[in-house]
Amino acid sequence: MSQYKIIFTGPVGAGKTTAIHTISDSAPIKTDAAASDMTKTRKSATTVAMDYGVMNLTDGEKLHLYGTPGQERFDFMWDILTSGGIGLILLLDNTRADPFLDMKFFLDAFADFIAETHVAIGVTQMDVSNRPMIGDYQQRLKELGINPPVFAVDARVKNDVSLLIQALLYSLDPGLEA
Amino acid sequence: MSNKGKTALKVALLGMDERTYKTLAQYLLGPCKNAAITVSDDNDAEVNIIDADLPRSRVLLEKLLHEKSARPLIVLSLKPMGNGSFLFVQKPIQTDAMLAVLAQAREHIQNADKDDNQTVLVASLTEVDQNADASGKVESDAKPSVPAPLKRHTADLNERNKTSKHRAAMHMDEKGFTALMGGMKSVDIGDSRQVKDARYNPRDYFQGYLQSAFKVSRARAQVLQLNSGWKPVLIFPHSNEVWLDADDRQLRAFASIIINKNDNQKMSLTEIKSKPLDGEALDKFQTMDALLWKLACWTSKGRYPEPFDIERPFYLKHWPNFTRLLVTPHALRIAALLIEKPRTATNIARTLHIKPEYVFVFISAAAALGLLGQAARNADIEVAPQALKPDKKQGLLRRIINKLRLN
Repeated sequence: MSQYKIIFTGPVGAGKTTAIHTISDSAPIKTDAAASDMTKTRKSATTVAMDYGVMNLTDGEKLHLYGTPGQERFDFMWDILTSGGIGLILLLDNTRADPFLDMKFFLDAFADFIAETHVAIGVTQMDVSNRPMIGDYQQRLKELGINPPVFAVDARVKNDVSLLIQALLYSLDPGLEA
Repeated sequence: MSNKGKTALKVALLGMDERTYKTLAQYLLGPCKNAAITVSDDNDAEVNIIDADLPRSRVLLEKLLHEKSARPLIVLSLKPMGNGSFLFVQKPIQTDAMLAVLAQAREHIQNADKDDNQTVLVASLTEVDQNADASGKVESDAKPSVPAPLKRHTADLNERNKTSKHRAAMHMDEKGFTALMGGMKSVDIGDSRQVKDARYNPRDYFQGYLQSAFKVSRARAQVLQLNSGWKPVLIFPHSNEVWLDADDRQLRAFASIIINKNDNQKMSLTEIKSKPLDGEALDKFQTMDALLWKLACWTSKGRYPEPFDIERPFYLKHWPNFTRLLVTPHALRIAALLIEKPRTATNIARTLHIKPEYVFVFISAAAALGLLGQAARNADIEVAPQALKPDKKQGLLRRIINKLRLN
C-alpha cells in the first residue's frame, strides 16, 4: 500500500506538534526533549527528530502526518521526510521577532517540494500578537510571486487545522468534491 | 522556486482599439502562457502596456511619461524607442521579448515593494528608539532587556480576551446554509436572463452603509461609530476591528431589510474621542473583515452584487482568511479555482457542479472585502472555460477531505 503523507514544518514553537496532535486519530508519537539551547527561551521541550500522527481513511488507508523538527540543524531530515509527500503545511509563529524571515527561510528550504506539490500557511499565536496581520503576509508572498492560502490558525483547534489542510488539498485539485 | 503558482501580472492595455486589445489579451494568455492577464479597471493593474503606433496613443504616452508613475510601462512599437523610463518591445512582437519585459516589470514591482517595506521598517525603528530611553539616549549595540516577542505580548494583553475575534470559523454545508438563509431563490444556470436578474444593490441594505463607513474610517484613520437606528457599530480602523453588541441571528435579520430613504436619514457616522469600552465588553470585538463577510453573505441570499457584470470573468486577489470567516458551501473550492485563473460565475458553477447561488454568495462576500476583481470582457477569448485536470491522487484527496469534513 502506498505511503501518503502531509508534512508540517515551521520554526520552533509554531505549533507543529500541537497541530498534528489536534488532527491525528491516534496519539501522536513525539520525540521531544528538554530544550538546552536558545530554543528554551521559547519553550521548555522541543522536537528533536520528528512528530508523527495518522489519519485513518476509509478502505483502511492511512494518511501519515509528519512534523519536521523546528531547529535548523536537523534540516538534513527534511528532504527524506518530504519524499512522496502530498503537500506542505507551513506554520509560522506571529510572536517571533521576524516571522517574515521565517516564512522566506522555510519557503526557500522546501522550494522544490512546493514546486511539485503545494503549500498552505497557518499563522499561529495571533491571539497573543495581532501584528503582522494576515494581509501583511499576503503582501510578502506577492513579492515572492506566490499566492497560497494564508490563514490565522490556533493549532489546538481542530477546525482551524482542518480548514488549512482542506485549502491545501483544494489548491492541488479544486475539482475535488466532498 | 519554479514558476508554478506564480501569479499572473495584472496589466492594463491602454489606448488600443477593440481588435488590438483583444488580440493582445489573447496573446498574453496563449503564447505568453498566462504570464499576464488584462484587467478592465486600470486601478487594479500592476503594469501598463501601450501601443505607440496608434494615433490616440501618442498623447496618452506623453501623459504617462509626464506623470512619472511608479507603475512599470511597456511600450510596443514598430520603430525602436526608448529613453530609460519605460520598457520596450519592438513589433512584430516576439514571445521571448514580451516574456522578458514582463519579467523585468515583475522585478521592478518587487523592488519597489521592498523599498516601501524598508521605509516602514525605518519608521518603526524610529518609534522603538523614541520609546527606548526617556533621556533620549539610544545605544545602538545595547540589547533589549526582554526579547522582542515578550514585549509584544505585554502590549497585547487584552488581545486574548477578544474571544469572538479569534474564534474558529463556522463551516456550513448546503443544507445548514440554506436553512439559515430561510430559503434562497434558485437560479437556472442555463437561463441567462435568470442569471442576470439574480443581483442586488448592497447600497439598499445595511451592507452598503457598513462598507461605506469602513471606507471613511480607514481613509480618515479615525475611530467612528455607525448609527443606524439599530445597534451602534464602533469601528477601529488601526486594528481592523469592530465592536458590535449583536449576535449572528440578529445580524442576519437586519441584513435582509431594505433600507428605504426614510430609514436612510437615521444613518450617521460620529467620531469617538473618549475610551468607549471597558474590559467586560471585549468579547463583542470581531474583525472588520469577519463582520462584513458574513453581512454580505446574509444580504446576498444567493444573489450577486451590483455593479459587477456577471458575464465577465472574476479573479481573486488572494485567499480569504477562511479560519476566521463564515465558510459558505463550496467556498474553499471556489477560492482555489479563482486563484488559478479568472473565470465567469457560470463557468465556476459548471466546473464545480454546484448551484450558482453558492458562487454568487462567495462573490458578494469576497467583493465586500475587496478581494475580487473582474478581468476585461474576454469571455470570448477562452480565458476561463477549460476543464479541470484532476489530480492523479484525486481518490485519495477526496477521502481525506471527507474525513476532515466529518470531524
